[in-house]
Amino acid sequence: MTITASRPVAQVGAARVARRRWRRSRWPLAALLALLSVLTVSPFLAMFVVALSPAGRPTVPAQWPDSLTFDNIARVLSASGFATWTVNSLVYAVVSVVIILLTSSMAGYAFAKKRFPGREAMFWTFLATMMVPFQATLIPTFVLVNSLDGVDTFWGLIVPTLANSQAVFLMRQFILGLPDELFDAAKVDGASEWRVYWTIVVPLTRPILATLGVFVFLWHWNDFLWPLVVGQSDATRTLTVGLTTLRTEELQLSVLMASAAVSVVPCLLVFFLLQRYLVNSIAMTGLK
Amino acid sequence: MRQRLRDPVTGLLFVLPVLVLFLIFRIFPSLGAAGMSLTNWNIGGEWDFIGADNYTRLFDDVNFWLSLRVTLVYVAIYVPLTLLVALGTALLLNQVVFLRGLFRGMLFLPYVTSFVLAGIIWRWIYEFDGLINGLLAKADLGPVAFLEQTALVLPALAVVSVWKGFGYSMLILLAGLKSIPSSYLEAARVDGASAWQRFRRITLPLLKPTIFFVVVIETISAFQTFDTVYVMTGGGPVRATYTLIYGIYDHGFRSFDFGYAATWGMVLFAIVLVVSLVQRRFLDRGTT
Repeated sequence: MTITASRPVAQVGAARVARRRWRRSRWPLAALLALLSVLTVSPFLAMFVVALSPAGRPTVPAQWPDSLTFDNIARVLSASGFATWTVNSLVYAVVSVVIILLTSSMAGYAFAKKRFPGREAMFWTFLATMMVPFQATLIPTFVLVNSLDGVDTFWGLIVPTLANSQAVFLMRQFILGLPDELFDAAKVDGASEWRVYWTIVVPLTRPILATLGVFVFLWHWNDFLWPLVVGQSDATRTLTVGLTTLRTEELQLSVLMASAAVSVVPCLLVFFLLQRYLVNSIAMTGLK
Repeated sequence: MRQRLRDPVTGLLFVLPVLVLFLIFRIFPSLGAAGMSLTNWNIGGEWDFIGADNYTRLFDDVNFWLSLRVTLVYVAIYVPLTLLVALGTALLLNQVVFLRGLFRGMLFLPYVTSFVLAGIIWRWIYEFDGLINGLLAKADLGPVAFLEQTALVLPALAVVSVWKGFGYSMLILLAGLKSIPSSYLEAARVDGASAWQRFRRITLPLLKPTIFFVVVIETISAFQTFDTVYVMTGGGPVRATYTLIYGIYDHGFRSFDFGYAATWGMVLFAIVLVVSLVQRRFLDRGTT
């Protein structure tokens, strides 16, 4: 700031003109970016238009609907399977979020700030399991859950997905950065370990817990392969799996698109409420 | 002193939930996958140790080689395409100030939805009476059978995955671009370097580690493609989209040939392991 102020006025003016010219020359880039953005969201727009079109008419793009209706949405919402699948998806996602946040922050705290035998070996084993893709262990995991009578039950659906090494790793990294003095002071004051966890670890890790919570919700809400093999009846079938059982041949396109549109609403809500937050956390933590 | 002594116990207690989950649902199935691949385990739960028979069967299995080829071709289409789109949009976002947040949000939007949803929308987009063919018909072109032609189906699926997922890599690349000191680019501009020269000589070399990271994670995710195949093509036409994971699913949950399906899983594990090791090698070199 001071350097700019001490520069001769003419030079500052010239720089400003150059910058303005440069900025103006970039409007084709802005137009291109706008075009790409519209193209990216257009499949969603098309989905919503078809979902709101009267059934049995030629739809986008052959002919735009001349009236919009919520009939399809209403039909989808009142279909019995659909409501059950939605509740199942919610249970799957929310229960997983709560348990993963709790267990991974506890483990992250211990790995970051506690000394106990086997700590390093255990932590590196967790990291190593990141390299084993879930799909490679799909069959043995299924056989295991099946032998415990967990197929088509909620625990069979949820529990095997709770071992999340990314969550543990992320929590440990974050808690490593908290100063040791905080924990020492609490202990000197005679606080129990559980109290230290609830009154120091949980409040201080709130930002990372929130980020992780959003991601775990989206991962589970959008998950497909595991719910497909475990949830075999409507009682435990999630929304993603349920949607694939709707066949276009038996169903009008507008109803299919209405189902898809309703299923995406929670993701869109999470997205619109937390967009800035999601975007920053990907850049910082590399969560996928 | 007494507090110190209590540490081993509390540390272990805090990791215990995660430890149990990992032992049962990650480590045991990982070892189990290797073990099962040496047996002829099937739906009845009966099995015999058959040594390397599954591996020799795999080696002679035409479908396995076909599936490996399908997967490799898919990776070869998907990875460059997604890198190109993600890098292009990241560069544009880095240049354009006008409505940047809105455009970034629009480009990132599909990322928060599921591959199942993407598959359902795009199956309709590709259909004979779908969105693209509707547009082509207006221009007196087409129709094109995107999902019924063996030559077109893999690129068509890759486009869906690129659309759904490029937002993530775009954000990672954007963070990489932001970390490049603007003084380098300013200096080059003052020296009269063209936009292309600045990109070639400054941006690209400095962005190389980020690009490498993106290539690795996108390669791994491309090897794990399943949801879109299941929803859009069911492995067809004539096994043109029979990917490795689809093979695991097919042998495990259609033929209930668990031992052999686990063998397919081991191949996926080996591939992901090699890609991860290559990544580690390069990243280590990058930091030293």
